[in-house]
Formats: sequence, C-alpha cells, structure tokens
Amino acid sequence: MIRLEHVSKHFEGRRRVTALEDINLEIPKGELVSIVGPSGSGKSTLLNLIGGLDRPTGGTITLDGQRLDGLTEDGLTAVRRDKLGFIFQFFNLLPSLSCLENVALPLHLRGWARKKIDARARELLALVKLSARLDHLPDELSGGERQRVAIARALSVYPPILLADEPTGNLDTQTGADILRLISDLHVTFGATILIVTHDMSVAETCQRMITIRDGKIVGNVRR
Amino acid sequence: MSSPGSKVQSPESRVQSPKSGVWIAAALLPILFASHGYAQSDARQIMAEAQRRSEAKSQRYEGLLQVLDGGGKVADKRWSFVRLGSHGSSKAVLRFLAPAEVKGVALLIVNHPDRASDQWMWTPALQRERRIALQDRSTRFFGTDFSFEDLEERDVDQYDYRLLGEQPIDGAACWRIESVPSKRKTSQYTRSEVWIRKDNYAFAQIESYVKAELVRRLTYSHFAQLQGIWTARRLEMSDLRRKSRTILTLEKLEYNVPLRDEDFTLQSLRNPL
Amino acid sequence: MRLLRLISWPYLRKHAVRSLLTVVGIVLGVAVFVAIHTANEAVFFAFERTVDRIAGAAQLQITSGETGFTEDVLERVQGIPEVQVAVPVIEAPAGTNLAGQGNILILGVDMTGDRSLRDYDLESGDEAIIDDPLVFLAQPDSIIITKEFADRNALTVGSRLTLSTMVGDRAFRVRGIMRSGGLTSAFGGNLAVMDIYAAQQVFGRGRRFDRIDLKLNEGVAVDAGRAGIQEALGVGFDVEAPASRGQQLESTLAVYAISMNVSSVFALFIGMFIIYNSFAIAVTQRRPEIGILRALGAPRRQIRNLFLIESAISGVLGSVAGIAVGMVMARAMVGSISSMLEGIYGVAERADEVLADPWLLTTAMAIGVTTSMIAAWLPARNASRVDPVQALQKGKYQVLTAGENRARRLGATVLMAVALIFLWIGRSIWFYAGYVSIVVAALLLVPTVSLWFARVLRPILKWLRPVEGALAADSLIQSPRRTSGAVAALMLSLGQVIGLGGVGRESYNSIVDWMNTTLNPDLFVAGSQNLSDRTFRFPKTLGPQISDVPGVAQVQTVRSLRVNVRGTPVMLVVIDTASFEERGRRQTVREAPGGMYTLTKAGRGVMVSDNFARLQKMDLGDTVDLATPAGMLSLPIVGILMDWSDQQGTVVLDRALYDRHWGDDTVNVFRVYVDHGSDPMDVRQRILERVGADQPRLLVLTNAEVRRWILQLTDQWLQLTYSQVFIAVLVAILGIVNTLTVSIIDRKRELGVLRAVGGFRRQIRQTVWMEAVAIGVVGLALGVLFGAANLYFLLEITGRDLSGMYLPYRFPAGIALALLPTILFAAFFSALWPAESAVRMSLVEALEYE
Repeated sequence: MIRLEHVSKHFEGRRRVTALEDINLEIPKGELVSIVGPSGSGKSTLLNLIGGLDRPTGGTITLDGQRLDGLTEDGLTAVRRDKLGFIFQFFNLLPSLSCLENVALPLHLRGWARKKIDARARELLALVKLSARLDHLPDELSGGERQRVAIARALSVYPPILLADEPTGNLDTQTGADILRLISDLHVTFGATILIVTHDMSVAETCQRMITIRDGKIVGNVRR
Repeated sequence: MSSPGSKVQSPESRVQSPKSGVWIAAALLPILFASHGYAQSDARQIMAEAQRRSEAKSQRYEGLLQVLDGGGKVADKRWSFVRLGSHGSSKAVLRFLAPAEVKGVALLIVNHPDRASDQWMWTPALQRERRIALQDRSTRFFGTDFSFEDLEERDVDQYDYRLLGEQPIDGAACWRIESVPSKRKTSQYTRSEVWIRKDNYAFAQIESYVKAELVRRLTYSHFAQLQGIWTARRLEMSDLRRKSRTILTLEKLEYNVPLRDEDFTLQSLRNPL
Repeated sequence: MRLLRLISWPYLRKHAVRSLLTVVGIVLGVAVFVAIHTANEAVFFAFERTVDRIAGAAQLQITSGETGFTEDVLERVQGIPEVQVAVPVIEAPAGTNLAGQGNILILGVDMTGDRSLRDYDLESGDEAIIDDPLVFLAQPDSIIITKEFADRNALTVGSRLTLSTMVGDRAFRVRGIMRSGGLTSAFGGNLAVMDIYAAQQVFGRGRRFDRIDLKLNEGVAVDAGRAGIQEALGVGFDVEAPASRGQQLESTLAVYAISMNVSSVFALFIGMFIIYNSFAIAVTQRRPEIGILRALGAPRRQIRNLFLIESAISGVLGSVAGIAVGMVMARAMVGSISSMLEGIYGVAERADEVLADPWLLTTAMAIGVTTSMIAAWLPARNASRVDPVQALQKGKYQVLTAGENRARRLGATVLMAVALIFLWIGRSIWFYAGYVSIVVAALLLVPTVSLWFARVLRPILKWLRPVEGALAADSLIQSPRRTSGAVAALMLSLGQVIGLGGVGRESYNSIVDWMNTTLNPDLFVAGSQNLSDRTFRFPKTLGPQISDVPGVAQVQTVRSLRVNVRGTPVMLVVIDTASFEERGRRQTVREAPGGMYTLTKAGRGVMVSDNFARLQKMDLGDTVDLATPAGMLSLPIVGILMDWSDQQGTVVLDRALYDRHWGDDTVNVFRVYVDHGSDPMDVRQRILERVGADQPRLLVLTNAEVRRWILQLTDQWLQLTYSQVFIAVLVAILGIVNTLTVSIIDRKRELGVLRAVGGFRRQIRQTVWMEAVAIGVVGLALGVLFGAANLYFLLEITGRDLSGMYLPYRFPAGIALALLPTILFAAFFSALWPAESAVRMSLVEALEYE
C-alpha cells in the first residue's frame, strides 16, 4: 500500500541538514503502523513525505500503486483527497466552521452534491459519537471531542490510508486512550492502512508494527 | 528763461520763464533785491521792452530740426509754423512736413496770458487729435531736446524778474536777468536766466534750472532784422542731462502774414490749409 | 534606535514593496496638498507680479467695471488737486497667431506722458527705446514688444507682427523693444505697448479708456488721495490700489480652491486609513517578534514608541516623496489654473516659477508625519498590549472586543446626534462641523457595519462556493479590524466619487434643462467662439443690420459685464426685456406682483438669478445697488429666475436703462431667431455675407454649436469625478492588497489545512479572491451609503458657498452601478498577487507548530 525506496530528505540552508537518509519501507494494505523516535529524528518529515505535503530530495514514494514523484502540486492534492486522511496533533479544525461544516469540508472540496455531503457528514459524526454536537464550533468542544471531529473529517471519503501526527499529543492520558481506541476501532471497521507518528511508547504499543527512527534512519522495525 | 519753445517758434517772442518750483525762492526775492545794485523794476522793464520789440501780428516760417544725440545725428525733420498774435495771447500751429512717416502730424498751441497753454496734437493716420496734458509738458517734444513747455509763449507778466548783471554773449553785450514763474506749478523749471542783447533787445541765451541744476540751455544766433524785428534764425537747445542738442533753423521767415483765427482751431487742425 | 535597526529595518527590507505601498498613502495626500497650494501660489505670485509690473509706479487705479469710461474723465482726474500724474490705459488681449504663444496683452498708453509711471526700460530710461517717438505716434501700427517676446519669436525692430484685434487681423510694426526687467516680466513677456489712441480703434473702445493709472502728489497719503478722488468722481468709479486686483483673482479661484481643498482633505483621510491599515498589518505580522521582545523585558512604552517612530519615519519619507510628486503635479496644474486667469486679463499667465514655499512645505511635512502617526497610534497601542505568551502562538485572530465595539457605536451615535444639532443650527461653520461629525461617525461605524454586511454576505458566498465562500466571509467576520481599514478607505473614496459624481451629473442635467428652456435662438452672432469672452463687442447698430437679413425673424442683444455688487463680482446681463419676455424667458422662481418683465422693462427693477439671491441672501423687494459711471443706480429685485450662466450670480437689467447709465451701446452677443421655414444655415450664410463683411470678428454660431460648447465646459466638472474614480480604484487596490496580505498570513494554517484535506490551488485562490471581492462589496456598500450622505453635503456646499445653485437631490445610481464592476475588478486584481503567495506557501510550515 505504501512503499518508500531510497527516500531521503535534505534541507538546504547555510548548512545542509539531512532529515532522512535512504529510507526503504513497505507497508501493506490494512496495517496499523506506528513510527516512533525522539524529537528531530525525522518521523514527522517522513509522515509529511508520505502525505504528499512535502517532496523528498531523492527516492520514490508509491501510494496505493501511484508514484508521487513527478506529480504536480494539484496532482499531489488529488492523491491526498482520494487516498489520504490526516489527523493532526492540534486538530487543525477551522474555528469559524461548525463540526458538521468541518467534516463536510473535504467533501465540498471534491464538489459532492450538498445532500450527499450532509448525509455523509452526519454519518461520520455519528461514527465518532458526536451527533449531539453537529452545529457547535470547535471552540465550544473539549480537546477529545475536537480530535474526534478531526478524525471524522479525515475519514470523510473513507480513504484507504490514514495519517496521524501525534494524535494524542495534545490530550490528557484518558482522552488520548479514548482516541486511540477509536482509531483502533476504525481500523478494524474499515480496514484502512493507518500510520501513527508518536513519541509515546504507550501509543506505539497498541499498533501492529512499530518503526523506530533515529537521526533520519530506520533503526527498528518490529511487527508483533 | 523764456520757454525755449517760444524762442523756438519765434525768437522774438521771448519772455516766458520757468515755473518756480519753490515758493521760498520767491519769498526771498525782496531781501535779495535790497542788497543788490539793480532794482527789480529795471529787469522787468528790459523784459517788457524785449517783448514789445518782437511783437508782430503773425509769423510764418519753415523749420529744419536736427537732433544731435551723443552718437550723432538721429534725424532731420521739417515743419511749417504759423502763429497769430503775439506773446501771451497767441495761437500757433506746427505741422510736420518731413519725413514721410510723420507728415501731417500737427500741434496746435493756444497760449494764455495768465496760465499755461493748451496744446493738442493731430495724427492724420488715426484721424484724431489728442490733448497734451499739463502734466506731460515737461516731457520731450517728440524726441527733440525741447519739451512741450518749451514750445509755449508766455506773457512777460507771468514771471518775476531780477537783474543779475551784464555779461556778453558771442561778443554782444547783454543783460543777465533772472526769471522766476510768479505762480508755482506752472512750469517744470524752478528758475531761468535770460540774456538780452543790449543793442537790439533780442534774446541771446536762456539757461533753465530745475532746483539748483542747470538742465537746458538755449542759444540764439544768426541774427537778422526782418521786417523791423531782430530775429535769430538759428536756435540751439542743449539738454544738459541727456548731453544731446537740437538745432532748429528757421527758413522762409515772414512776419505779419495774413492769417485768420479760424486757422487756429481743432477744426482747422483736421483740415489743413 | 537600536531596536529600530534590529527589528524594523529587516522587516521593512523583507516587505519592501508593501512598505512602499503604505508610504504611497502619505505620498498621495501630501502630494495633492502641496500641488494645490503650490500651484495656486505660483499663479498668484506670477499674477501679482504682473499686476505690479503693469501698474508700474501707479499708486491708484481708477476703473469703472468692464465698460471703461469716456475720455473726459481723464481731465477731471488730472484736475483733482491731489493728483500729480494721471494716465489713461487700455488693456486688451490680442491673438498673436504664433504657434504656442497664445494671446498677448496689449497695453495702450499715452506715449506722450506715460513714461512717468511705467518703467519701460530700466537701463536707459526715457524713451530711448523708440527710435523716433514722433514716428511711433504718427503710425498707428506702432508697437513695442518685450525682449522676451522678441527673442522667442525672432522679432527685431522693424519686424511685422500680425495680431488678431477687434477689427480682424492687423499687421503691426515693431518700433521698439523693451529691455528685460520691470514691465517685461508681466505675463512672461507676452505683453506689448502701443499708443492708446491707436488701441482705441483696433480694440473697439471708441473714445473711452479702460483705466486711469495715477500717482499722487508727494505728501498725499494714498488713503486720503483715494478718498478725495472717489469723492470727486462719484460712485460709478472704483479707485483702488493696483494690488487689490488680486482680489478678483481670488474670487475667481475660490470655487476651484474649495473643491480642491475638499479633495485634498479626503486624500489625506484616505491616506490615513491606508497607513492605519498597513500598520495594523505590520503589528499582526510581527506579533511573534513583539512577543519575544516583550518576553525579553521590553516595556510596553518601548514597543509603542518603536511603532510610532517607524510611522514618523515613513511619514517623513512619504512627505518628502509627496512634496516631490506634489511639485511635479503643481507644474502640471499651473497651466490649468493659469488659463482660468484668462478671464481677467485675456492672456494666460505664464507662471514659470513654481517655487516651494518653505512654510507650505513645513506644513505639508507636519501634516504627513502627523497623519502617519495618528494612523499608527492604535496599531502601536495594540502592539504594546501584545501578550507575550499569546503572541508566540500562531493563528490568533485579532478580535475586536465587544467593549471596543460598543464604545465605537456609542461614539458614532453621539456624533450623529451632535451632527444633527449642528445641521439644525445650520450656519456655515456649524454646517461644516456637522459634515465632519458625520464623516467621523461613519468611520466609527465602519467595523460594526462591515461586520453586519459580512454576515449578510456569508450565506450568499457560501451558496456560491460552500467552502471557499464561507471561509472568505468568515475571514472578514473574524477580523473586523483587519478589514475595517481597507473598508473605511474605500468607503471614503467611493463616497467622494458618488458625491462629486452626483453633483456633477445634477449640474449637467440642470444645465441641459436650462439650455432646453432658454437657449432657444437659432443663431448667435458673437465675436468669439467662446461666448463668455467679453472682450469683443459690437456696436448696437449691428442689430438692425442683422434684422434686415432675409430670414431673420427677431434679433435680441445681450451685453454682459462683470460689476461689483456688495463686493462680489457678479454678472450684469443687459437685455431687451420686451423681446426676452416674448422669446427666451427663463424659468421664474418668483416675481413681484407687477410682473417682473413689466417692471424691468419700465426700468423699475432688476431680475436676479436664483443663485444670486441665495449667495447674497436677498429676496424680492431688496435693493440692488449698481455703481454706474453716472452715479449709483439702486433698483429693487422684481423677479428671481433660474439662470446658470454665472457662478457668482446674475443681475438682469433692461437695455435702455443701461445705455443711459453706462453710456455704452455695445453688444456682446446677438441672439437671432429665424423665420419659420427658413433654414438657419442659409440665414447664417447670409448674415456672414451681408454683415460679416465689415465685421471681421463676426462669427455666427448655430444653436447646436453653442450647446456643444457649453456642454464641453460642463464636462470639465465631470473630469473631477473621473479623477476621483481613479483615486478610489487606487485606494481599493492598495487597501485590499494590504488586507489580503495580512489575511493570508493570519489564515496560513487554515489555508494549509484546506490544501492538506484536498483543496486544489484553484480553490485556494478562489477563497482569497472571494475575500477580496467581499471586501470590495462591503466597501462599495458602505461607500454607497456614505456617498448618499456625502452627496447631500456636497449639494449643500455647492448651494451655500460655491454657486448658490441648489440642485435637486437625486442619487447617481448610474455611477454607483458603474462602480460595481470597477471596484470588483480592482478587488479581484488586487487579490491576484496575495492569492499566488497563498498557494506558494509551504504546506509543512503552515501546518506545523513550534
């Protein structure tokens, strides 16, 4: 489902900084994988590259059989909207939009019919158990609820791949556990390929496979 | 000084004098007389006699006017001159004959015994006359060294006189007489000095002053007795401020020619004889 | 200072283009201010110098309106004991027929005596400049020109020069050249001297003089001398010092000056909002920096001062640039102002020296810096209040507190109430205070009202584009402060466009109405294409000659001239009342019981224009005092009519009465009606053949030509509106670019999310565009509302202080509609660059947190 071959990423500046060096990785369909490592190890960069938010300096990335290199900006966007869902540490909900609108956002961007969008958004919010908060603004929700909205948004088109960047990083332990459970449930329900970046070992331990990164290299790759 | 003009036209008509600019000068006169060997009445008598001897019913001549500027001769002009009457009550018409550009331009002067004259200029190209205002009489008469005032004749009574002594001019014995306008503001000149020949009572020279400065000198020469009147046929006016001079030569001079009053009106100016 | 170098300079460098745009606001305001005043001053200066040169040593000038007076007045004046020298003068403009030289002012003087007053040659004095004064006087084609004019046109003594005079083109011979200096510098040398009696003939003066210049006897005080002369001459004559001629200029330029000043104030106001906007933006962008500074222990005062100093510096830079631009503009404007002076002398003033008045420049600098600092005050205060902790987080919006909004609304309400009271009091100064109050109230309401408009817009935009539209509207709703600056600037400039446009259009309509009702003759016989040129006049006897032309049904004479009524130079229009009553009636406002035409015809009153009555605050029955050469003519107002021919107002008098009192039988224009069935073009041809042969200046204009000419004049009014539209568009672009730049910075994360979840670049652009268009729409809406109020005020000002013409209030919907696409396009155009920079932003950076 996700394949990385000789992927590297350098940041050019006054001094060349290597974030990732010759990464080779294959994640099959339906796997729930965690990427762990200390701050600055390159794990977020890896996630950004896989999500098409950034481009590698070298190597190829293939998502669901589609190579990302050579795609235009809009081509990348098309991959994101069809194949990917993002879950962020700080939720990245649009504060001016209600829960329903936030969830509907990607659907609108794809130009779905309004009726269909509405139905899907409600369905998703029911899925994350937020049917009671449809018209609330993000500011009116608790952290856990916001992340659930964000998850609902990431699921909006039922993408084959979900990318989560420290999904519990901004939540208390209890809520974090709830969110993780939700993600696991969804994994079971939809069979999506899920990649979670975290530095929290307890999060990593819930995953089927744990990839450890340090100084831009994969130093551990454990399936359990 | 008699107005140079008067001389200009008629050497015999003398006797005008400059305007006094300064009242005080007149006020001082009696004192000066008292200390002087000659009486004021002597001077006045000489002037009156000069006027009497030059009297004629009328006069006519052709004048040749030559202006000699610092740089040399500027232009010759020629005019015809006719005058009816004498001195304070005369009238005169002066009409330019040459050069061609100014031919027909005429000046009518009506003198008054008791005040400044009236003057009008006629320009044929415009077919209209213009008055020469009193305020403009001190300006130059069309580029010559005469002023409009110098063209006037004034009666002997318009001035006060004082005999300053005797002094020959061109070898001829003369009385030297100071003349001050009796009414102020009638002349550009403060005072004048007049030289009268003792032998024939003709004017020999006039020097005119503005305040203390000598500004014009008029000298008479080429005397001849014509019809019993001693007449100078050459007048030379020097403007001492501009350092230029104008020579007027009188030709074809005649006295007592038949002229009519009607020839000296604005109407006659428009329709030349 | 160190902070400035460390903090401000790098920021400025990074945002060089936008920093420049900010300064443009100040540049614009200061430039307009400097240009108007400098150009005015340059023209005034040149004019005063001209008056001075022409007056020479004259202490007093005697005039009697435009008619002049008969020659005998000269002798009367010369006979007044206080007068030392009095010389007559004729002033007449003449066309030079030389390319680029325009008109030349001919000074007709009495060459026998004038030298005592005027210095024709500074170097050699006296009349040495003329070879032979006798030739000069004897030949009426003699003319003396200035050295400047001679040099420009390669003329020497003896050259021929053809001038357009009242009697047609006449060849003149240069018989003298004045050396440079003194008189020759009047009108930049476009001046010539000729004999006054010759001038009388070629300029149709008859036996009249225009003016007498005089010098008093030594020891006579000018005031005493003037009083003595005035008493000796009577009321029909004006005895004034030459310098007072400048006053005529002032009233001529007054209308122009007021409208330009209003524009200049608006430009500064708009500039202020652009600056405010820019600084508000700078504060937003640099909030993290400020936060760090604050965290490192910089006191609030220091932060505030940092921004104030920055604003002062940009104020100084903007002012300097504004002054430079203003001086350039002034040069361009001098020409148009100068041409207004042609109304006074008939010769365009050549204001070659456009000098910077240090005092003016200091004022301009002070205005620029003050405006800049006032505008930066709020942002600077906000900067100083930045919370160090919050500032270090991203994505915080500027939120206008409810309290602040309430205070603004309260302020606006109070101001409106005050304004209404002021307006109710109504007198001039209160009226203007009311105007200002309303403007300020409107500005205070901008955030509230634009918020309200944005809320109205949201569903519409959302319906158009569910995501992009809603987000664009939300962007406006959430940061009213960010948007308000741009909206306020737009509101002011659009309000001005609508106000001026409304006044312009209404004037235009009224003039067209007036033309339709009163401008009904088929032909006009005049001496100039320009009907308001009153220098060419015909003898009245031409009237019967025109009447005799086959096909002519009726001929009316019009003599118009400026006269002073209560110190205002109004237009006196002399008509054959009976014939006007029959044909060519003006719309009556109100009339005395006896019937205004009957009474005027009988010489028992005058009719005045509506604007005259208003400007002079006079009504039926009030007495109008007209100073005539024959003494004071006092007549009651018997009728008020609509007439648009003069901004200062018109007084209509019967011909017979005029002839008697002014002793002037000339005519400016003959209005000719042709017989039914006659072709006006044929009649025109016949008039030209029969009458025109002896009258080389005679022109026959058709009704259509005259209309076209009047409308052309009126169009100049509308030009002002067009230039305002240009400014409005500039303001729109500037304000919107600024606002959007900040908006995309504020919304960096939001836009990033949008892209992350699948928004194409096109969709990102669209949301930025929609925000721009939304700002444009809100600005337009507010501008239309404000314009509606502004129009009321401008109409009032026009009626009260400018022309006395009260125009009906009609909202210029056409202009407002035309603005819609213009502003929307400008908004869209402004959004292009910010939108591009939005899609180019790094996604990773946009989404990450430090």
